[in-house]
Amino acid sequence: MTNTTTTDTAPGRQRPAIDWSRVGHWAKEQYPLYILIVLLIVAGFATEAFFTPRNLTNLILQVSVIGIVSLAQFLIVLTGGIDISVGSVVGLAGVLAAGLFSGASVPLAILVAILVGAMVGALNGYLIAFRGLEAFIVTLGMLALARGLVYAYTEGVPVIPSAEGFRAMATATVLGFPVIGLIWLGLAVVIAFVVRRTVFGRRIYAVGSNKEAAHASGVPVKSTLLGVYILAGVLTGFAGFLLAARVGAGTPTAGNLYELDAIAAVVIGGASLVGGKGRVLGAVVGTLIFGVITNLLVLLNVSTYLQDAFRGALILVAVVLTTVQFSRRKRNKRLS
Amino acid sequence: MMPDFPSATQAMAAGQVAFEVRDVSREYPGVRALDGVTLTGYAGEVLAICGANGAGKSTLARLLAGQEAPTSGVIEISGYSGHVDGPADAADAGILLMHQEPVIIDSFTVAENVWLKNLSSAGSVRPWGIVDRKRSETTVAALKAVGLEGVSPDRLGRELGPGLRQMLALSRTQVNPHRVLLLDETTASTTEEHFKDVEALVERERADGVSVVFVSHRMPEVFAMADRIAVLRNGKLVGVVRTSETTPAEVMTMMIGEAVSALKSPTPLEGQEAPILEVSNLTSGSATDVSFSVRPGEVVGIYGLVGSGRSSIARSISGNQKRSSGEVKLHGKPVLAKSPRDAIRQGIAYLTEDRRKEGFVKDFTNGENLTLATPQNYSRFGVINRGRERKRVRELIAEYQVKGGATTLTRTLSGGNQQKVCIAKWLEARPEVVILDEPTKGIDVGARLNIYQIIRELAADSKGVVVVTSEAEEALMLCNRILILREGRLVGEYSPTDSTTDDLIRASLGGEPA
Repeated sequence: MTNTTTTDTAPGRQRPAIDWSRVGHWAKEQYPLYILIVLLIVAGFATEAFFTPRNLTNLILQVSVIGIVSLAQFLIVLTGGIDISVGSVVGLAGVLAAGLFSGASVPLAILVAILVGAMVGALNGYLIAFRGLEAFIVTLGMLALARGLVYAYTEGVPVIPSAEGFRAMATATVLGFPVIGLIWLGLAVVIAFVVRRTVFGRRIYAVGSNKEAAHASGVPVKSTLLGVYILAGVLTGFAGFLLAARVGAGTPTAGNLYELDAIAAVVIGGASLVGGKGRVLGAVVGTLIFGVITNLLVLLNVSTYLQDAFRGALILVAVVLTTVQFSRRKRNKRLS
Repeated sequence: MMPDFPSATQAMAAGQVAFEVRDVSREYPGVRALDGVTLTGYAGEVLAICGANGAGKSTLARLLAGQEAPTSGVIEISGYSGHVDGPADAADAGILLMHQEPVIIDSFTVAENVWLKNLSSAGSVRPWGIVDRKRSETTVAALKAVGLEGVSPDRLGRELGPGLRQMLALSRTQVNPHRVLLLDETTASTTEEHFKDVEALVERERADGVSVVFVSHRMPEVFAMADRIAVLRNGKLVGVVRTSETTPAEVMTMMIGEAVSALKSPTPLEGQEAPILEVSNLTSGSATDVSFSVRPGEVVGIYGLVGSGRSSIARSISGNQKRSSGEVKLHGKPVLAKSPRDAIRQGIAYLTEDRRKEGFVKDFTNGENLTLATPQNYSRFGVINRGRERKRVRELIAEYQVKGGATTLTRTLSGGNQQKVCIAKWLEARPEVVILDEPTKGIDVGARLNIYQIIRELAADSKGVVVVTSEAEEALMLCNRILILREGRLVGEYSPTDSTTDDLIRASLGGEPA
């Protein structure tokens, strides 16, 4: 069998060609990055206030929390699911981190936030993976449940933690760069490693792309799904702590509508809502695109109501863009 | 020439040409399902289309019904100018197709299901129109005509058993005007008692000047109903004979033809080695009380018609389907695989029949698919060693002669190459028993031999191999022993050295041995 193979496969000969096309392929897939670059250029010309250290710091502070939530959303979208409870979980983790043990210790607060997120994620994941329920409806219930608990716990009043250093993590800077931004990017690198280089990550893609084939090939579909929801919960809970730290209090409305921003960021970043496709870099870039636009609209004094409309329009444009991409690729394939 | 028929309802005089199929071929990727078929159907006549599995019967029926277009050739329906493209055109042309699986909407009532095809023609019947007609005499008459007078029009489709569902679908012959009636293995799920109703219905249709086309491989039914029999084999029309001038044996011979054997048939295994796999009294899905064993180095074939329970056996042993009762032993120890993951850990691999759905992950490259079942070979503490993975993938691609590189998406390959990837994926897990479900389904001849070769090497390597197949030739070419499955039960065991495709097909159909 082996002596006939040199003629048709010849892996040695193909290798440089594949690497080359890979670079081209990668560049072709990075349209969110190009959108971001164009956007930054536009922003620079539109207002002098954009490229100032103060505004950029502000921008990073604003996008970091939502960026971490988007990483969580990204993982779930990769499996073909969706989590619309992330905003409420951010809120719940925030108020409990600030309120339980009266927010006396920062490590304890972080632990509380992460555990809250993990528990919610585990419940979501259990219902979705093991009870076979729709991710959308399960997390819709969780959205209402978690937000309800937030209001019940706070009675509508912000919870002020007693620890003096509670805000430190969210306000500190390293060489002028906000630590919270570094945390976000660090987590992005970790998640990128998890999905690209680990067996768990490979399984996430397999489950998202083709659940039946994954199951038939011996992939533990259910535990993979559960793991993803727990990991996403941990990220979301931690984001809840960071938000409370940034604000200096656990506010009952914290994280409101974050699910929309996170889903939008992930989709703008090129992930497929059907599952199985997407890159962490896309989710990061998607978050930045969203953040830059929001920031720009504020700088340009666009009314708050119009801002929402703009962001909604952006989501639609981004989604349409992805379909244009796909159909062009299909046509190319047919021609060749 | 032909008179113009203003509407599909108008009957034709017996003996007029109802449809003409001229030099029609139909190709699917890698397969030529129909090859230059020319056939004429007449009004007031029942034409049976016979052939073994994969002969092209259903393809021909789909082409006639306008559900698919031929790759080349012409299909003309008398009284309909232009070609039939899609169900709406088919209705206009007066063609009514009865599918193998009856088209019944579970949540609709029996009455609504009778009128189902009229839902699409806006204006003629609207939902409230159906309600009005629910008790109407037409509906009742239509049901009565197919022996369903005892079934209330208000019952839901899901309450009917398989036999009744088929009859309900057939009741549409009473409300949908047609001049050509296609029955695609319609009797496959009907019982004896309903068969009489089908026979009576066909008889009436014939008297009404309808051209009835009856696709089947069941000889008794064909001989009970058909005027002429067209026999297909490997996509080619072997011949058309008058029922009155032939015998079932003759038609069988035409269906089977001579087996062209590319490989020498294996012989039954010598020696008394203990079996590697023992299955006793297995009941699962459509398989009932099945027992057999496989010895190391043995290839056991399971041959049967579609729906005979072949896949149920394979899927329940390999954890893809629950078993209701029975025991499976591997090396003498009972095993119960609750999932495919369980099965492969215990040494049982199952190559699925549905490659696209279950065989490989659609967005994965060859490399990723090849290592899907065995990530532990390329990882430590859950982190993939990409260098090691890439190296092994390249070796596998060379070893199994997969056309395409490590980063090619598996779904872009031909069926044969996809199958090689799927097989290689499983063999990487070093299973003791390999169960292959229709390993050459939709695979062209060249890749077929490759796959046969791989299966032989597996046996030479002392694995236990089970090949589930619907091709008698394949069973004879590959297996040391062939088990025949009919209606969920094992009904016979054949040795490849002293049996023919004819024996296997007869046994699976339930006919007497030749």
